[in-house]
This record gives sequence, C-alpha cells and structure tokens, in this order.
Amino acid sequence: MKKIMKKKALSILLASAMILSLASCNNQAGSESTGSSETSSSSAVTESTSEAGNEPATAADDSEEWTVDYANNTVYAGSATTKLGSAGSGTLNYSVYAGEAGKDYTDPKVYTFHDYMAGMTNMKWSTHTWETNDDSYVLGFVSSGFYDFVLNSTKDSWAITCEMAAALPEDVTADFVGQYGIKSGEKAKAFKIKLNPDACWEDGTPINADSYMYSYKELLDPVMLNRRADSLYAGDFEIYGAKAYFYQGSEAFTAIGEPISDWIAAGGDPSTLYVDLSFWGVAKEDGSTYAPVTDDTQIRDEAVPEGQDEDYVSAKYLYETYLGAGCPYESYSEQYLGTLESFEDGMSFDKVGIVKTGDYELVFITTNPIDQWEYYVPYNLSSTYLVYPELWESCKTYFDSNGAKVSAGSADIASVTTNYCTNAETTVSYGPYRLAYFELDKQMTFERNNNWYGYKDNKHKGQYQTDVISTQVIGEQATALLAFQKGEIDNVSLVAADMATYGSSDYIRYTPQSYTTKLSFNTDLTKTTERGTQIMCNPTFRKAFSLAIDRNKFATSYTAAGSAGFGLLNYLYVYDPFTGETYRDAEGGKEALVHLYGLTYGEDGDYDDLDEAYEAITGYDVELAQKLMKQAYDECIASGLYDGSSNVEIELRVYQGDDVYVQMFNYLKGALETAVKGSGFEGKVTLKMTVDADYYETNYSGGADMIFTTWGGATYSPWTMLYQCYCDASDGSGQQMEYGFDTSAVKLTMKLDGLNYTTSLQNWALWANGDVNVKIKSEDNSNILATFAEYDSETKAKIFGKMEYAYLSFFTTTPVYYRNTGSLVSQKGDYPVKQYIDLIDFGGMRFYTYNYDDEAWEGVRNSLTY
Amino acid sequence: MRMLKYVIKRILLMIMTFFIITTICFVLIKLLPLPAVKEMGRDVNLILARREAMGYNKPILVQYYLFWKNVILHGDFGLGEQIYSGQEVSTIILQKLPYTVMVNLYSILLSVPLGILFGIYAALKKNKWQDHFISTAVMFFISVPSFVYAFIVQYLLCFKTGWFSLTVASKEATPFVSWAMFKSMFPAVLSMGFGTIAGLTRFTRAELSEVLTSEYLLLARTKGLTKRQAVIRHALRNAMVPILPMILGEFISIMSGSLIIEKIFSIPGVGALFLNSVVLRDYNFYLALAMFYTLISLVGTIVVDLSYGFIDPRIKMGER
Repeated sequence: MKKIMKKKALSILLASAMILSLASCNNQAGSESTGSSETSSSSAVTESTSEAGNEPATAADDSEEWTVDYANNTVYAGSATTKLGSAGSGTLNYSVYAGEAGKDYTDPKVYTFHDYMAGMTNMKWSTHTWETNDDSYVLGFVSSGFYDFVLNSTKDSWAITCEMAAALPEDVTADFVGQYGIKSGEKAKAFKIKLNPDACWEDGTPINADSYMYSYKELLDPVMLNRRADSLYAGDFEIYGAKAYFYQGSEAFTAIGEPISDWIAAGGDPSTLYVDLSFWGVAKEDGSTYAPVTDDTQIRDEAVPEGQDEDYVSAKYLYETYLGAGCPYESYSEQYLGTLESFEDGMSFDKVGIVKTGDYELVFITTNPIDQWEYYVPYNLSSTYLVYPELWESCKTYFDSNGAKVSAGSADIASVTTNYCTNAETTVSYGPYRLAYFELDKQMTFERNNNWYGYKDNKHKGQYQTDVISTQVIGEQATALLAFQKGEIDNVSLVAADMATYGSSDYIRYTPQSYTTKLSFNTDLTKTTERGTQIMCNPTFRKAFSLAIDRNKFATSYTAAGSAGFGLLNYLYVYDPFTGETYRDAEGGKEALVHLYGLTYGEDGDYDDLDEAYEAITGYDVELAQKLMKQAYDECIASGLYDGSSNVEIELRVYQGDDVYVQMFNYLKGALETAVKGSGFEGKVTLKMTVDADYYETNYSGGADMIFTTWGGATYSPWTMLYQCYCDASDGSGQQMEYGFDTSAVKLTMKLDGLNYTTSLQNWALWANGDVNVKIKSEDNSNILATFAEYDSETKAKIFGKMEYAYLSFFTTTPVYYRNTGSLVSQKGDYPVKQYIDLIDFGGMRFYTYNYDDEAWEGVRNSLTY
Repeated sequence: MRMLKYVIKRILLMIMTFFIITTICFVLIKLLPLPAVKEMGRDVNLILARREAMGYNKPILVQYYLFWKNVILHGDFGLGEQIYSGQEVSTIILQKLPYTVMVNLYSILLSVPLGILFGIYAALKKNKWQDHFISTAVMFFISVPSFVYAFIVQYLLCFKTGWFSLTVASKEATPFVSWAMFKSMFPAVLSMGFGTIAGLTRFTRAELSEVLTSEYLLLARTKGLTKRQAVIRHALRNAMVPILPMILGEFISIMSGSLIIEKIFSIPGVGALFLNSVVLRDYNFYLALAMFYTLISLVGTIVVDLSYGFIDPRIKMGER
C-alpha cells in the first residue's frame, strides 16, 4: 500500500517537476544567470512583449522603465545610485517627557484603570516562556527592560531611557579581542551594561549580575526548551555561543531554501550538503535522518520488498538520482538538501557571550557586529529575562522520555516544564506593578509594586499615577461596549459596525498595526487544474481582478479602522531609526507602488513628481481591469488555460462565515463580476466562499484558490520580511502563502551605479535578509554588491522597493488594506498624546493621567456620552 | 438479585463502550496533524522539540499505551500544547468546571419548577386562552436561540435598568457561593433557563393532558376525589414517569457549558474548551474532555434507565 502511495506521490511529483522544469527552461531562455556575462538572453527579453500588454520589456537597457515580462518571469526595476553607510551613526533622543502626574504618597485618592481582554487561552507570561500579546501585556506591568522607549519631551516621538540598566550601553569590543570570536579591529560586538543597583524583586531581594547570569543560563537550558530561548540566537541580536549552548549535543539542519542549481550558481559547494532522508521516508540505523550527499552507506527501505529496485538507497544515490541539479525532483532540493550544524555536547555556559564583569555589570557579546548599535542595542535590550531563582526551581515539573513525571534528581529526565508565571502565586514582579490577583479566564488585578526602584529614584516623577489596574475578561465585544458605556471599563475596541456611531468621537484613538491584509492567490498549475481554476495562473487575470477592487471602499466598509493597502509593508516600518523615516515615505518605497499601479510622473507623466503620483494611488481602475480581463481571456484561450465555455468558480476560503466575511466576500464577488463584464469570462467566472477553520493549512497544501493573508513584523526591521514571509518556499513548506509562486524562478534585474545586476528574486530577498553568503555579481562580472547591511538607509530603501515591486508585479498577492484598530478611551482619564507614536503607542500607562479618581468617577460614569 | 445483575451488566457494558469511544476519539484526533509551525524569524525547532518531548512523534500505538498508562497509574492527562500551553490539563479543567456547574445548577433549579408549573397550568387550562398564551410563548422560546435572549436580557436587565451586572462577578469581588455571585449569575441563568422552561412546559402539558383524559382519572373523580386531589395524587404522579428522567438528564448535563452564554456573560467555564481543543487541535485537552463527557453521558444513561424503576415500581429492570 505504502509503495502504491509512494508511486502515486512520485507521479504527482514528477508531473509537478516537469511543469516546473518547463517553466524553468522558459526562465533560463529569457534571463541571465548571476555572474554570467552573456547578454543574448536579455535581448530575447527586450524583443518579447509581456502578456500583460505592457510596453515591450527592456531588461537591460539604460531607461528608467520598470517592466515585468510574465512570459519569461523577468522583472526590470529601473536604476539607482548606491551609497555605503556607516554602522552606528546618528544621534538619538534621550530627553524624556516630564509627565504630569505620578505617585504622590500623600494623595489619599485611588486611581484604578479598568481594562479588559478578550480571553486568556494561552497565557504564560514568564520572560522565558511568553508568546502572546496577552503575555506581554502582563510583562509590561511586572517587569522592566534594561532600556525603555518612552514619550519624548516634545511629545511627538520616542526617547530612550535607562531602567534596569544604570547607563547607556558602551561598546567594549576591543576589550574582548581574542575571546568569544572577536577579532582585532572589530567593533560593535561587545556591549557593557551597567546594572541599576536599586533594582529588586517585589519582596525586596536585590537583582544583581548573578540574578541575570542564573536567568540567562536557565533561558538557554537545552532541556527546558523555553519558548524565548531563541531571542538570544534567532534574531539580529545573536549572542555569541547561545545557539551552540542551546543545541549542545544535537544537530541542526538548515535547508538551502532554493533549487540546488541556483544554490550552486550562487557559489555553493554541493559536496558540503546533507540529504534529509525523510524525503525518501528512511532513516539511518541510529535514527538520524541526515547524511552527507557523498555518503554511500546503504539504507534499507522497508517499503520495498527485498530484492527489488531501490530496496536499499543511500544519501549519495538520492542526491545523484533525484535531488541533484537537473534531476527529476530538483525542486525538492530546496527543502531536503541543506547544511548540518553539529553542536558539541557538554558546553559550558562560560562560552556564551553573556559575561559578568562586576556585581552590577554585564557584557553582551554578539556573533555579528550590530549595525547602528546605539539604537539597536537598547532596542534589543528593552526586555530582560529574569526569573526568581527559588520560585523558578519550585515550579519545574520533570518528565521522562515517555511523558511520565519523574523527580528532580532522576536520571531519566528528558524534558522539563514550568508553571512559573501562570498565576499570582507563581509570579514575582520586578516592574512598576505586581500581580495581586489572577483568576483564569476571568480577572487580573495589578497593584503597585512598592519595592520598584522607580517610585523612589526621583527619575520617574510625574509617571504612574495609576494605583490599580483591574483587567477582566470580556469575550464578547458587544458586552465590552455596554460595559464601557456604563463606565465599567476605561477603553473598548471598536468594530466596523461601531464606526458610524463613534467614528467622529473626540475619544476615539486609532492604532495602526504593522499588518497588511492581502488576497493571496494559488498559482500552481497542477493544483488549480485539479479544481478547474487554472485561469488563476494567468497573471493578467490576477492583475485585472486586483484593479477591480476599490481598496478604500473595502477598508472603510468592512474594517473597524483599516485603511486602503497597496504595498507589502505599510506606513509603520521605519527604515532609519535615527530619523524615524518610514520606508513607505522613502523614495524607494513610493517608487515601488507608483510603478506597480502604473502611475507616471515627471516631464511626460501624469503627475508633477513622485510624491504627487504616490498620493494619487488608488489601485482601483475598473476600465483598465475590464480591458485587461479581455486580454486575459484571449491569453487563457491561447495557452489552453481556459476552454471558452466552462464555468469557473474560484474559491475564497475564509476562517469563519460571520457577517463581516460574508460582506467582504460579496464585495469581492461583485468586483470580479464587474471585471469580467464584456470579456469572454462574463457569466462564466465567479467567486464562491468556503468556510474553513484550517484555511491556512489548506492554503499551505495548495488546496485553496485564494485566501486572506496577513503578515506583519517588527516595524524597525523592514528588510527581513520579504524573504521570511514571501520568498522562502513556494510549496507551502515555509511562511510564503502565495502557493506556487516560485521566486527562485523570477529573475530581477536592477541597474545600480550603471551596472546591471540580475539574480532571482529569492536571492535578492535573501541578500536583504542579511545572508552574507549571497553574492550578487554585475552582469559584466566587474563588481559584486556589498552586503545589504553595508549600504546606507536610503539605498536600502531604494533596492528593497525594487524587490517589493518585483514581488507584487506578478499579482500573486494583492494588498487590500492596512490593519488599524479603533478604540474609545473613557473620560476618566487620558493618554498624553492623541496620535499614535510607534513603539510607545499613546504614551502608555506610564503617562496615563486621570480626570476623576475612583470615588468621583462613580458619580459621573453613567451620565457621560461619547 | 435480578436488578443487581442488570446493574452490573450495564456497568460492564458501559466500561466497554467507554473504552471503544475513547479509543476512536484517540485515533481520530491523532489522525489530525498538529498545526504547522509558522513564525517569522523564530526558531520553529523549539516547538518541534517540545512536541517531540511530549511524545507526539512516537508511533500511535506507543502513544496510546503511554496515554492510558499515565491516566490510569498517575491520573495524568498531560499538558496543553495549543491551548493553555505547558499547563496541566486536569488542573485547568478543574479550575473552570465550578463556574459551569454553578450556572447550570442555578438554571435547572430555576427552570424545573417553573417548567412543571407552567406545564400543569397549561394542561389544566387546556384550550383556554391561558393555554394558548403559554403554548405560544413556549413555541417562541423553543424556536429562538438562547443567545438572542441572552443579549436581550443583558441589555434590558443589566444595561438599561442596571439591576444586574453585565458580566458574572470574579471570585476576587465576592465569594463563589454567595448571594452577590448568584445575583451576578442571574442574567446568564435566566438566559439558559428559557429553553429548559419551555421544553419542560411543553412536555409536562402534553403528558398531563393525556393522563387527565384517561379512564382511571375519570374513575378517581367518580369515586369522589376533587379535581385537585385527582390531579396531584394520580395524574401528576403518572405524568412524572417520563418527565423525571428528563429532569435527571438536565442535571447530568450541568457539566457541559454553553459556549455562547459563557462568552456573553464572561463566565470562565468549560463551554469553549472542548470546541477550542478540536479547532486548535490540542490532543490532550481534547482527549481529557472527550473522556470526561463520554463518562458523564454513559453514567447518565444508566442512571436515567434505572430511575424508571424507582419512579414507577411497575417497571422492573432486568425482567424479560
């Protein structure tokens, strides 16, 4: 049976591989590979006319045209001049807003902030284990970071302030040369943090360097498997030795993430790779599933009767027969070929780059230099990872390898869990408030932590007027709104239906989120053909559909406070922390969208300049949509994607079938039916909605035609998103939700400083993601681009804009709206600013002030209008 | 003796049924793959390693054996993975169950007497305007979903008049068994009770109407009993034979929460737990809850069956 299944699977794989191979052949015919000096392919591109009816593509000329050639999967994204930047430059704001009210111990009045949350289904707010926003909500009250970002003195941005640290970080890289991987001449890799000597736990126990050393060691404990362990090794602020310590005695496989041909073309040596044997459903005798591609050790495949073909296979055989360059399943190489890191067992914590250099002094040593470290070190140290040792130990539960509980001293311990920070008794605060009461799924109450240094150090005057924070669970928004109107809670989130009533209220606050909600399309020919929706594979069809969506109307009608969305990244992403400038306002960010939506500016353009063109973007043009749809029909008939008579129902899968989704679906259905009017698709192509709680999973397996997808990330790390969310894997094995859109097959050319650089979109994205192994050569081989981090912020924005354009120009995803939330704040008090400020919202509880104390509020709360 | 044998036989059958159902549940839930781990910029191996440590990668038969071993020997249902991650399943369920039980209990205590009284009254006033009025109301309350009255009750009794709080009180504000807690639960109790009251009214009316027209009741009246005596001594007792097991069933179901009512009134009960465990695919929570509710249901069935014999001695259990 297994064999039959395997054969079936293989035949499907083979078919997919053939299609991909064909596509790949087409791509190769019309594009240049990295490092190649041949230009014949670019002339082929120049001669071709794009399917979308754009101007003839001009991949290698000197013009400023931004063009896409769907037939050959090539994009030319104009030119730019580049400038290298310097790490750690610029000035930052350290001037903190003075505040208006704070703890006055002579004031007998009590100020309680009544808050609510929708649920507590997964709360575990220890610094070592937290996962959800609800967890960070609690941590925001019961913990303090080394540094914090707070409202600045002019109340228009943030300023950096010291909290658990006594001073700003100091670059001491030179003191550690020869240790922790630091070489002579390196900078910005070791940072001294002087600790706040007044910091203590809520019971008064001092917090010193030993407290941190214990806590960080526990965070990285390989047996604990703490969810936040990766904070020390998975991001930009990678602590030296942290990953090796955490993974000690084990192996970590990292897939190459692109077809082996591309990987080799980019300079990779295939003999260093490993095969993930799970590709074939076999494992080595020791249970490991990784073997070098050169390993010819024969492994028995139990699914095949002995004596038949492939009853024994080896890693070498699988590589040479199936996964290698030019082999039938090469497309699977990106997932099943990779590097294997082995980590030595028994590593001492002394080798990790967190060093105690005094009773109140720590040094953090990173694996790589930290670009713009004056900002990014405080940013990454705005959290601390402290646990109260005695309580932490007592909250541990030990398990053997069969999941049975064992004692702390047992030799059979295979894993450990903790219930630290799951209720009031297991929480010890070192922040401004302590958790006084916790009732699961019902109520949390925070009271002042009178041992918090901030109430005594005179540096926090005018802050924290709130005495008590009472947070109840209200799962139903309608109930929360009633509670707000009765003055029982001091803020409430609004939904779309509330906007008619409260949209113009003086008490409404809009909070932008970093998320863009998009429609992601399945463009895999095999998968869509199975459902008869293969017209989705035609990019002109997708573009026409996209242009038929009035994003502004959609956002205002069906979301509480969303705004029309046009790009992958919204307007929150800051590309230069020293100026606070956002990527969307940068020239590169604007150019990407202006070109994507076909607006022109300058001498012969429709608009005077880029800014004017950018402001005019609507993404909505029914006339053009209908024109393109006619063209799409002709293309689909010509290519065999459509037979001219079949009815096609494109399926939109949604999480739930509530009113909002139904309205959204109806709008999109109408938009599609408007777009197809007058084309051969009229009356034959429509949209249907299917409720599917697992719609993401379905999408990742290619089972959906289109779904709503939403990605967002840290607003100060815009450059990593393109690879991590959009270009990592087209087969659902990664984060990318545009199933079937193989960015390793899209060749993006941009002219930088007069030289053309061409490589796959995936490679560009990987390069922007900080992968120093990606080398991008000019077509004439005369230059190799520096690492992405080495360019100045403006250059990064320009180059990234070209990548964003390349991704969106295939319309495999179409941004619809940028997410915002709207909420009402009660008249009991208010935040110091009314406009949202990145990193600090409206000033936070730190600067919240009251118009009424609790007693006075009781007298008025029922009579107020909003 | 026959009765004892019958009870033992039913209990053995119940154990076998319980085992079969839980085995099916185990296999079905394990056939559903855990949600894929997709977290931008995070080390997904941490989650995969945790799943490995929880034994999710072992062969299903081994998992089945270990599951039963831990349940039987240690009473351990494991830890949550997708919901209440890393926390003991049994602890969470036991923390949440009292709210559900209390609200359901109050609801039954309120709705059973009312339902029976309305039913009796409607039967006695059969085909008069009172009967028509009650029957119409019954149709309305049976047809309209409980969350509709829940919103109306909340709006009128809690928001507009302010007689009750919008949500159920926390144990921080008032002891769990107290007048204040009962008062805060009342809107939820009322919302849950409408359906039960309507159902019992309809059932009681139907049973009693039938009994009231029976020959033996006519005989009782001809013997000289007043209408009240005939109804209370004869009609009601006979009508109760099918009604009492129904009431018993209501009591047994008090441990299953109402998803929507609990959400509207912010009751931290178990109502959403079962659904969430399936939707989010938390194996351990699902299995613990499936076992729990299966057991309650099976025990309930036996108790209801046996209760017939106690209510009406003419019904002999185990007799051929």
